[in-house]
Amino acid sequence: MASSCSQALRHHVCKSSRLLRVHLQKSWTNRSFEGAVCVSSSFALNSAADQQPAVSSPEEIVIPKKKTWSKEAVLQALASTVKRDPTASDYRFQDDPYLTPKTSSEFKLFSLSQESGRNAAKYFINTYPKYFQKDYAQPHIPCLMPDTLEAQIEEVSEAALIERIGMRKVKAAVDLYDQLLQAGTSVSLDVTNQLLDLICFYGDHDPAQENVPEQRNEETEDVQDEPQAKKGRAAKASDLLKATWKEKNNAERIFALLSEPNTHSYSALIRGMVKYGAYSKAFSTYTDLLNSRLKADVHTFNALITAAPEVKEKYNEKWELIVDLLKQMAEQKVKPNLLTLNAVLKALRRCGTVGKSQAFPVISEMKALSIDLSLASYSHLLAIFYKPGAPIQGQTDILQEVMNEVSGKSFTPQDPDDAQFFITAMRICLDTKDMEQAYRVHELLGVGENWRLLGNDFQQNIYYARFFSLLCMMENIDVMLKWYRDLVPSVYYPSSNVMRDLLQALDTDNRLDLIPQIWKDIKQLGHANRQNLVEELLTLMAREKHNQEVQESFAECALDIKKIYDTGDRGKVLLNWTAGSLSDLISVLLAAHRRQDAWDMLKLFKTHNRVPSEELLNKFLMCVKEDGDVNQAVELVQISAGFCLPGTPKLIQRVQQEFELTEQQRKMLSDLEIQSFNSE
Amino acid sequence: MYRRLLINIYQVRNGLIHTQNTRLPSTKCKERESFAPVIWAPCTARPLGTSSISFSENKENSTSLSEDKEKRPEENEAKEEVNTDGQKSTEISNATLTLQLETEPVDKPEDSKQVEKTKSGKESLLELLGAMKVEVTTVRKIRPSKTPRMSERPDQEPMESTHSMFQHATAEGSQQQGTLNPALVAAVSAAASTLPNRHQAESELLKQLRKHEAVPDTQRRADGQNIGHIIADMKVGGRKTNGRSSARPTSQIRFDDDGKGYTQDRGITGELDAVRRRKSPFTSKRLNIFTAGMEQDTLSVLGPTLWDIDLANQIVQATNQAPRNGFEEMIQWTKEGKLWQYPINNEAGLEEEASVPFHEHVFLEKHLDESFPRQGPVRHFMELVITGLAKNHHLTVQQKKEHIDWFRDYFRQKDDVLKEAEA
Repeated sequence: MASSCSQALRHHVCKSSRLLRVHLQKSWTNRSFEGAVCVSSSFALNSAADQQPAVSSPEEIVIPKKKTWSKEAVLQALASTVKRDPTASDYRFQDDPYLTPKTSSEFKLFSLSQESGRNAAKYFINTYPKYFQKDYAQPHIPCLMPDTLEAQIEEVSEAALIERIGMRKVKAAVDLYDQLLQAGTSVSLDVTNQLLDLICFYGDHDPAQENVPEQRNEETEDVQDEPQAKKGRAAKASDLLKATWKEKNNAERIFALLSEPNTHSYSALIRGMVKYGAYSKAFSTYTDLLNSRLKADVHTFNALITAAPEVKEKYNEKWELIVDLLKQMAEQKVKPNLLTLNAVLKALRRCGTVGKSQAFPVISEMKALSIDLSLASYSHLLAIFYKPGAPIQGQTDILQEVMNEVSGKSFTPQDPDDAQFFITAMRICLDTKDMEQAYRVHELLGVGENWRLLGNDFQQNIYYARFFSLLCMMENIDVMLKWYRDLVPSVYYPSSNVMRDLLQALDTDNRLDLIPQIWKDIKQLGHANRQNLVEELLTLMAREKHNQEVQESFAECALDIKKIYDTGDRGKVLLNWTAGSLSDLISVLLAAHRRQDAWDMLKLFKTHNRVPSEELLNKFLMCVKEDGDVNQAVELVQISAGFCLPGTPKLIQRVQQEFELTEQQRKMLSDLEIQSFNSE
Repeated sequence: MYRRLLINIYQVRNGLIHTQNTRLPSTKCKERESFAPVIWAPCTARPLGTSSISFSENKENSTSLSEDKEKRPEENEAKEEVNTDGQKSTEISNATLTLQLETEPVDKPEDSKQVEKTKSGKESLLELLGAMKVEVTTVRKIRPSKTPRMSERPDQEPMESTHSMFQHATAEGSQQQGTLNPALVAAVSAAASTLPNRHQAESELLKQLRKHEAVPDTQRRADGQNIGHIIADMKVGGRKTNGRSSARPTSQIRFDDDGKGYTQDRGITGELDAVRRRKSPFTSKRLNIFTAGMEQDTLSVLGPTLWDIDLANQIVQATNQAPRNGFEEMIQWTKEGKLWQYPINNEAGLEEEASVPFHEHVFLEKHLDESFPRQGPVRHFMELVITGLAKNHHLTVQQKKEHIDWFRDYFRQKDDVLKEAEA
């Protein structure tokens, strides 16, 4: 390509120089010379670029290594060109504009339904595999075909055992193993170890049947939806609660049957014990392992370190046990991995002050072993130094140090706790009111694939809620609104509390004129039925006088709010009028000189059994007076008298003095005066 | 420390009353510092009188911070002069004192001490200084957080320059200053170091002294001595004292009169030191349990166990795997095997032939060897066939072989015909 280009250029130059020769003018030669120089230099450039390695060092030719591209390389490059569109909803919802979520509940519902639809399909395919045998795909796509859930091998053999282990059928596998032993067939150690793994992993219980396909899917499908993940976690938690390690369960029984258990067998047993809460038993098993002169593997140590805080009471005892385990690792020449580091740090979270003093030496130790920290390590570190609810003085620099370390790095998920980092960091920012670090944390989120580590939707919501509350608290209104436009509602659906924070921020920065806009958002976010929020909004609007334009928009907004009060949802009343909200609304309308609307509102006091304040009535009277509407003034007095307000006589007096009344009205007023006097 | 300071002051001053004076001006100084340099100007100007020079000087000071800094030193020098003038100034200082007392009720309890002072020697002085300290600390509390910044800068100045400044100042100053200055400054810094906020305390002490000098200055002026000199001196001296303060060890514990007892220094200097000293805790010393080059005993690795799969599962569950755009969704599908792979080189879709080298495709002569005639039209024909096959990229090697085999069979069947034709 380049060479052909330069050839064309040369051709061109030749031509032009021939032309020159024909003309033979000085100025022309000058020009052509320049042109030639230009071209030749570009030649030089080309050739230099082509042969650079050869030219620079003729002796040693560096042959570049073959670059192997992953099969997604092109797609990844393409994907990196797409930036987030703050005006668009999540990609998941872009198929159907009708299903674009506007509120957080809709978001939950839609993402959940999408996911559950997938799971339902998978369930049917797996339950009725005979109807899904036709393979349309060319070439064959295995993940679209039904999974085999029934054991195919019926005979009693090791192959059948392997198959059952592969299908995670704990009970069936154990039965088969027993049958094999009874028949006198010996099972190889590897297969027995796999069986032990299976039993220990599930704590000698069959995994819940529906969970099997689900868990398989999770690796491939995008199961990040909050409700589902929650469900998964809840299921796991309940598993842990009810499924404890039982004495003499199948794992221990099979383990005892082994003539020569190896490291793997012990490892499986210890990990199972730790997973199901038999901590001290895990340690005694570890002692057995040492007695039989075996070495533990790194997973065993990781499990034991996790269990260490459970078996000791005092902080320093816990720490000593961990150090002891680490020393044994070094003795047995077991190289710790990232999970070891994270397990130690996680254990240190429960070691109080010892944790603070030992966290950094541990990290340096692991760094010396060239273990790179994952976000989970930093997250544990932050948790060690910033206990929620504890005073936070003098430790802000730890967060700063951590941010110095992680800024600009792209992390890959390596530990399930990685997803805790952003939430933790943002919580600390919020606690310490540290806007600068919050920006750094948020910046980190944008680096590389770090956004994946923000976690599921639920965690995202927490993160953004914290970030946004901090913005409301610390930033000036313009910056905050910029973020607001950026985040809401494309990634974040603020809760009503956060919206109140926003209103307060508007209040402190004197930008109440933006309220009508915010009200629109509130309505869209589905918070229009939050009594507190709506009342706060009304109070803010009614509190101060603004210029005419703003008052007008306030009045529109107020009428809009009134509609929400009136309609309700499917005949159910969402909001109840209170005296405060009614009078606020009326004041807003009065300030915008919407006397008729205000008058209609005033009647609502009666229908909803609320009592207006004197102040409101006075305000109303002022407004009536401006327009000189005598009838309404009298009616107002009547209303006031109807509520038996103590201020009625004063009101009557004012009306008598300030308005020109007809005889009839005068009489009526004096009647009212007497009435009210009597009632008092 | 106190004692030393006391002794110093005692020695330096002729009369005890002077010490009182020093205390009183301090309140003024504090005012100045807590508000702005501008306020200071009228303050000092008042005692000095109407001298135009001093006024202009003050104005200048008020304009810039740096000049303000410089001013403090001058005051030290002035102080010294005060000492020499001693008794003369007492009257005037007393007058100013009473004025201040009126303005600041806080000082009143200390007034009584004033009277006592004349009677008792060192002890009363001690008390006085204690009182001073109290003032200082309270002021610190009230003062807006911005004031410490003023003191930040002098901190960073190197010691040497301050020394030279000092010399300069002494040279320029009146002859008496030479003897008095170092002792006074040392005393002040020593006293300040005992206070919780050393730096502020010191500057305040110095200011107090400076106030003090201002009084004698007025007298001097009256005497016709040149004030310009003094003012010039003042500018330089301030740096010197600041330099001193920065040189003091920061580890010292200071006594806090607020009733908190001994407190660690948390002043701005301490912070600055922390900044200077700061190194990342991530580089802290290690536990030294493992050795870096440790080799791991390789255990038999049987591929991913159930635990590994579960870990991967957990990680996937914990992280956000939702695609953000169409391309990412396609990546996901590619990984799941649902989508045709996007070509990343010109060998896309080469699954079955991937392991076959190119020469198998191109050099097909070896297949002609056995059963075809060595020469003749058949040979010629077959050579054309393999040339064509070599250029055909639609067929796999296996297909090409089959193609050749077909011809082999064909010619074998037609063997008779060929022989008849003597080909």
